[in-house]
Amino acid sequence: MAKLEISGLRKTFGPTEVIPGADLEIEDGEFVVFVGPSGCGKSTLLRMIAGLEEVTSGTIRIGDQDVTRVDPAHRGVAMVFQSYALFPHMSVAQNMGFGMRVNRVPRAEAEAKIRKAADILQLGPLLDRKPAQLSGGQRQRVAIGRAIVREPAVFLFDEPLSNLDAELRVQMRIELSALHQRLKSTMIYVTHDQVEAMTLANKIVVLRAGRIEQVGAPLDLYDDPDNLFVAGFIGSPRMNFFDATVAEGGGVVLAGETALHLPLEGVSLPAPGSEVVVGCRPEHFVVGAEMGLRMNVTAVEHLGTVSVAYAARPEGDPVAVELQDRRDVSPGDQLALGFPPQRTLVFDKATQSRLR
Amino acid sequence: MKHLSTPLARKIALYVALTLTAFLFVLPLWWAIISSFRPNDAIFRDLFPFSLRAFLPEPFSLDAYVGIFQRGFGGIIWNTLLVSGLTMIFGLVVNGLAGFAFAIFDFPAKNTILAVIVVSFMLPFEAIAMPLYGVVQQLGWIDRVAALVVPSIANGLAVFLFYQFFRQVPKDYYEAARLEGASPLRILWSVYVPLSMPTCISAGLMLFIFQWEAFLWPLLAMPAQEFKVIQVGMASFQEQYTTAWNELFGVAVITALIPIVLLLPLQRYYVQGLAGSGLKG
Repeated sequence: MAKLEISGLRKTFGPTEVIPGADLEIEDGEFVVFVGPSGCGKSTLLRMIAGLEEVTSGTIRIGDQDVTRVDPAHRGVAMVFQSYALFPHMSVAQNMGFGMRVNRVPRAEAEAKIRKAADILQLGPLLDRKPAQLSGGQRQRVAIGRAIVREPAVFLFDEPLSNLDAELRVQMRIELSALHQRLKSTMIYVTHDQVEAMTLANKIVVLRAGRIEQVGAPLDLYDDPDNLFVAGFIGSPRMNFFDATVAEGGGVVLAGETALHLPLEGVSLPAPGSEVVVGCRPEHFVVGAEMGLRMNVTAVEHLGTVSVAYAARPEGDPVAVELQDRRDVSPGDQLALGFPPQRTLVFDKATQSRLR
Repeated sequence: MKHLSTPLARKIALYVALTLTAFLFVLPLWWAIISSFRPNDAIFRDLFPFSLRAFLPEPFSLDAYVGIFQRGFGGIIWNTLLVSGLTMIFGLVVNGLAGFAFAIFDFPAKNTILAVIVVSFMLPFEAIAMPLYGVVQQLGWIDRVAALVVPSIANGLAVFLFYQFFRQVPKDYYEAARLEGASPLRILWSVYVPLSMPTCISAGLMLFIFQWEAFLWPLLAMPAQEFKVIQVGMASFQEQYTTAWNELFGVAVITALIPIVLLLPLQRYYVQGLAGSGLKG
C-alpha cells in the first residue's frame, strides 16, 4: 500500500509524443481508473508506472521512493494483463508461485501465500489445473491471484475484463470492487469503458491524446465536467450538445430554425454574440415544457426501467431523451424538451472548456 | 477405354500407377538392404541374367555386418555420434539464445544482422570451405574434434527457427515474468523453452542431421584420417574395398538407419516445429 505520484511524465516514441507531460497524485488505498478512447495513452501511462515502458522525462514516485529508473521487479507493483499472460505449461498454483520460485521464497511460505490467495478468489479446487482447462473468468481470477501473492504496493490492471462476455464482466466488476474493499491496496485500472470506470473508481482520470483532461470522483465528473470531451465521454447515452450564441441581456439562443431562448443560472457568459455549446444530459430534459425544443421522435429504446427516445437532427448527432414511466412514446410522436436552467451546461465553442 | 470410366476401375488404375511409382523409388533402397545381407560373390548373381530373386536376400548372410565392425566401423559410428551430439547440444544453446535475443531485445542494426544470418544459411558450404579452413588452421584445430564441432554450432537456419517461434510467443508472458523478478535467462529457461519443445526438437534434429551428413568438411579438416566420421568412413570403404559391395551396402544401410531411428518417434514435433505452430490452446 502506498501513495503514487507522477510529475511531468513524458513519453515519446521517436518523433511522436504519446504523453506530453502528465501530473497526477494517487492516494494510498485509492481505486483509480484511467479511462479514455483507444490510443489516448492510458495503457502507456500504466506501463510506465509498471516499468515496462521507458520514461522519456519526468518522475514516478511510489511511497517515498523515486522509482522512475527502478527495475520493474523492484517497484512493488503487480500487473494483471488484458490477455492474463498465464504461462500455459504451468498449473494454477505454479503460475501463482512463479515469482516466489524466482525469488527463492521458502516453499512453506510460498504455499501458504498461494493458499490464502486461492481462498480469497475461490480458486482452491483449481490449483492443479492448467490455464487451458479454465474458463475465462477463472483465468482472470488466477491472474489476479498471481498479483495478490506478490503483496504489491500498487496493483495495476490493464483492461482486465475486456476479454470476458458482458454478464461475466458485471460479475467480475463486483468481485474486483469487493477485493479492493478487502485488500485496501492502491489500485490503478485502465479501461476504455466508461461504465467500468464509473462503477469501480474512487477517482477517475480521463485521458485524451496523452493529456489528462480531468481528474475526479465519478459523480463529480458526471455532474461537473470541465470540458466538452469529458462531458461527452462520461455518461451513456451521452450528453446532448447544441450550438448556440450568447443573447443580449443574458441567456443563450440555440442555433437553427427554432431560435429558442434559454435563460441560464449560475453561468458567467462571454460577450453577447459569442459562440457557445449547450449541453444537457438525456435524463435532465423537462419533457412537455411549454417553452421547449420541439423534436420528432425517430426511434425508441425500451430498457425496462427507462425508455430512451431519439430524435434525428439535420445537424449533429440525434438528441437522446431518457423518459421515466413514459412507455407510450413511439416514433413519429413530437416531444417538447425544456432545458432546466441549473442543469444545463455551457461550453466555450473555441476552447471547448466549461463556462461556469 | 470405356471400362475405365467406371469409378472403381479408375480407382484401381490410379492405385496401380501409384504403386508402380512408389516401387520405383523404393526399389533401389530395397536392393541396397537385401544386398547387405548377401555374401559378396552373390551380389550381382540374379541381375545378369535378371530374375525376381534379385529382390530377396538369398543366399542370406551376415558376413557384411560382421566384416564392417571387424574393420572398426563401430568406432566410426561412435565418433559421428559424438560429433553430432556435441553439435546438437551446443547448437541448441547458442542458436536458442541468439533467436531469443533477436525476438525479445531491441538493439542497433538488429534487422541487418538478422538478414545477414538468414542469408548465411542460403550460402552453399563449398563457398566458405576454404576461408573456414584457413581460420581453423590458424586456431591449430586441424585433425581435432573441435574443427568439426565448433564451426557447425552456429546455424543460421536454427537461429531463424527459434527467432520465428519466440517472436510469436505473446510479449505479455515476458513482461509478466519480468514483473515477477525473473531475469531474461530465467524467462527463456522457465517460460520460452517449455513452450518451444517442438522447435527445440526440430532444430536439434536438424543440427544432428547436418553434422551426420557432413562429408566435405570432415574430409578437409581431418586430413590424418585417424578420427573418421561416418560419411568419410563410408567413402573410404569404397576406395579400399572396392570389391566388398555387400559391406559397402551394409555401411550405407547403417548410415541411413540411425537418423531414421531418431527422426521417426519425433517426426510429429519435427513437422510441427518447422510449420511454426504449437502455441494454440
